[in-house]
Amino acid sequence: MTVIGTAALNAPIYVRYQPDIEDELTRLSTAIGQTPLLQRYHPRWLAIQLLEGDSGLLTEVQNAPNGAPVLQVLNDSQARLRAIYNEDIDVILTDQRYRFVNTLVRRVLTRPATQRETLSDRVDKIVTHRLLGIPIFLALMWLVFKLTTDVATPYLEWVEEAIGGPLTNQLVALLTLIGLDGTWVESLVVDGIIAGVGGVLVFVPVLMTLYLALAILEDSGYMARAAFVMDRLMHILGLHGKSFLPMIVGFGCNVPAIYATRTLETEKDRILTGLLVPFMSCSARLPVYVLLATIFFPAYSGLVVFGLYMLGIVAAIGLGFALKHTLFKTKDRVPFIMELPPYHLPTLRGIWTHMWERTASFIRRAGTVIMATSILIWLLMAIPTRGDGAFADTELDDSAFATVAGVVAPVFAPLGFGSWEASGALVTGFIAKEVVVSTMSQIYGVAEEEEAAEPTTLVDDLGQVVTSFAGATIDTLRAIPLIIGIDLMGTEAEDEAEPAGLMRAAQSNFEVSSGGHGALAALAFMVFVLLYTPCVAVIAAARQEFGNRWMWFSVVGQLVIAWIAALVVFQGGRLLGWG
Amino acid sequence: MRNWTIALAGNPNVGKSTIFNGLTGSRQHVGNWPGKTVEKKTGILKCAGQELTIVDLPGTYSLSAYSLEEQIARDFIVLERPQAVVNVIDATNLERNLYLTAQILETGIPLIIALNMCDLADARGIIIDVAHLSQLLDGIAVIPMAASHNHGLEELKQALVAYVLQPSQQQAA
Repeated sequence: MTVIGTAALNAPIYVRYQPDIEDELTRLSTAIGQTPLLQRYHPRWLAIQLLEGDSGLLTEVQNAPNGAPVLQVLNDSQARLRAIYNEDIDVILTDQRYRFVNTLVRRVLTRPATQRETLSDRVDKIVTHRLLGIPIFLALMWLVFKLTTDVATPYLEWVEEAIGGPLTNQLVALLTLIGLDGTWVESLVVDGIIAGVGGVLVFVPVLMTLYLALAILEDSGYMARAAFVMDRLMHILGLHGKSFLPMIVGFGCNVPAIYATRTLETEKDRILTGLLVPFMSCSARLPVYVLLATIFFPAYSGLVVFGLYMLGIVAAIGLGFALKHTLFKTKDRVPFIMELPPYHLPTLRGIWTHMWERTASFIRRAGTVIMATSILIWLLMAIPTRGDGAFADTELDDSAFATVAGVVAPVFAPLGFGSWEASGALVTGFIAKEVVVSTMSQIYGVAEEEEAAEPTTLVDDLGQVVTSFAGATIDTLRAIPLIIGIDLMGTEAEDEAEPAGLMRAAQSNFEVSSGGHGALAALAFMVFVLLYTPCVAVIAAARQEFGNRWMWFSVVGQLVIAWIAALVVFQGGRLLGWG
Repeated sequence: MRNWTIALAGNPNVGKSTIFNGLTGSRQHVGNWPGKTVEKKTGILKCAGQELTIVDLPGTYSLSAYSLEEQIARDFIVLERPQAVVNVIDATNLERNLYLTAQILETGIPLIIALNMCDLADARGIIIDVAHLSQLLDGIAVIPMAASHNHGLEELKQALVAYVLQPSQQQAA
């Protein structure tokens, strides 16, 4: 490609306005040049902004010593120009800038004789269709969660087996070698770190599938359409029509979504959208759903997960609607304009980068935040506060963790999960949603009966990891056609595996705390996880962007909404005789 | 050696982040998504013995401070006064993109135009007389690019280095 014009970069070029405007600009620039404090601005540029009525800069001039003469000149100029043009000065300047652009474009641009309708346009006619747009969005989301639950499950089981079997065996063997077997160190490694961090890492295949799907939808340009389609709905409801873009970002992670609210024009709309973002179910919440849905709703796990995501969207839009007509009442409605990027065929490299970036950050969190909280929770579970247990050798019910969590538990009793186990997971889950999973696998993992581990060799273990990976791949390939309802292999009849120890422990715990409505309580628990504070990082982001007051408003509001919604699910479900 | 700062500015979703990554070798999240960059990002371009700080500004349609991201972009250009602004323009939407160009010109900061997405413009039969555009803008550098295919990146680097090494700039240093 040829490069044009490498020289003369420094010569100042300006849009030339009408002579009478240029005269005023010269006068103003001169006055500005004589005011020392304003010299950090380019005089002509500042003159233009002042003529246009930029309120921020006007205040700056008012506050500058010697600003008065500039204001005097400005008022005179504005008066003169108003007399000539009889129109707002910013409109005149904008108009002349457009004329300059127009002239340029007319001279350098040749358009094709007939404007072809691009493929992008044709696809958009369907995808952003007034009636079809939302069903298409919902169908795609449903497909994504079907993928994450069905297709990723075999790999999830593979990782679970690899961590629970070979990895644990080898670590225990290593500890035995240095004579630490049976001590508190073994308990820390097995019940603390492997149970906690491992319990979260198990979900890496699920998240990779989600990130893959999100990367394809984003890079192709579809996500911008989804935002457009939903924004139109929100605009009809009187909400700002640019809010959904940050919210869609929230599907990956709520933290960048909070920052993405900066694209909104007014402070009010920014704060309002920032309050709604946390209801968008981020990827860290997915493991909680997958874990509980596979225990309590094995046949419908995809549907349950999809339903939770939808509930998040409905809650956000509903709350937005309520707030917009109360706290955030504004008269003027900003017109809804959104530019849709052209569709691209996503590149493999681009998709890989996105998927890996997010997966790596998930794994990093597992190695840092989750590791730290797992150790802390192990410590709390190891310290006896009742009974006659010793350190790292106490009944869980007697541990410090059970005592502390037991204080909070009554709050959740009406919601069906008032056990110290579930409450403890929610309390620690305040830090991050993965912690809900790591805490649960620590609690329920210990409750699981000790299986007599047979001594294995490293070779056996590696062999097992490889063969089970192959098995997982075959299962996944078989699961793909099932998503769209094609049952090629007749897998429907596959026998339901007996739930593993952890699952059994969780199941009976929820059954007990809910008085025999375990599934309903689990559903209420997932709704609570969906709606309450996503993580401390989101709180920090909200504080930075919207200030302390709104941060607290957001945190407390989410807790109240989550509690009420979970109550409605559990008590309502019981009244209707479900579960 | 003087510390050079070059800002990347342009409308949303015109490929600023792709060009930023290409110049600095970093791997910023690039998305087919307007409003991906809401905070400025900084990287270093090393080329021909020169070291330039490249700042990727949030995408904006104008320099009027309506939203926070516009304010961030404007304040950087006007107050930090980078040595040059690379205005990234979507060749398939020349008219709308040039409005921002007109406003950047008014800040008095030297400008280089990166005419991106030329491949898409070609495919749609849009022809842009690059030489004439440069000439009408007093001879500023206009670099045709297709950044997603790495086309024009070398030329942009060369143009930046050439600008830095200009005698008038060297004296200023």
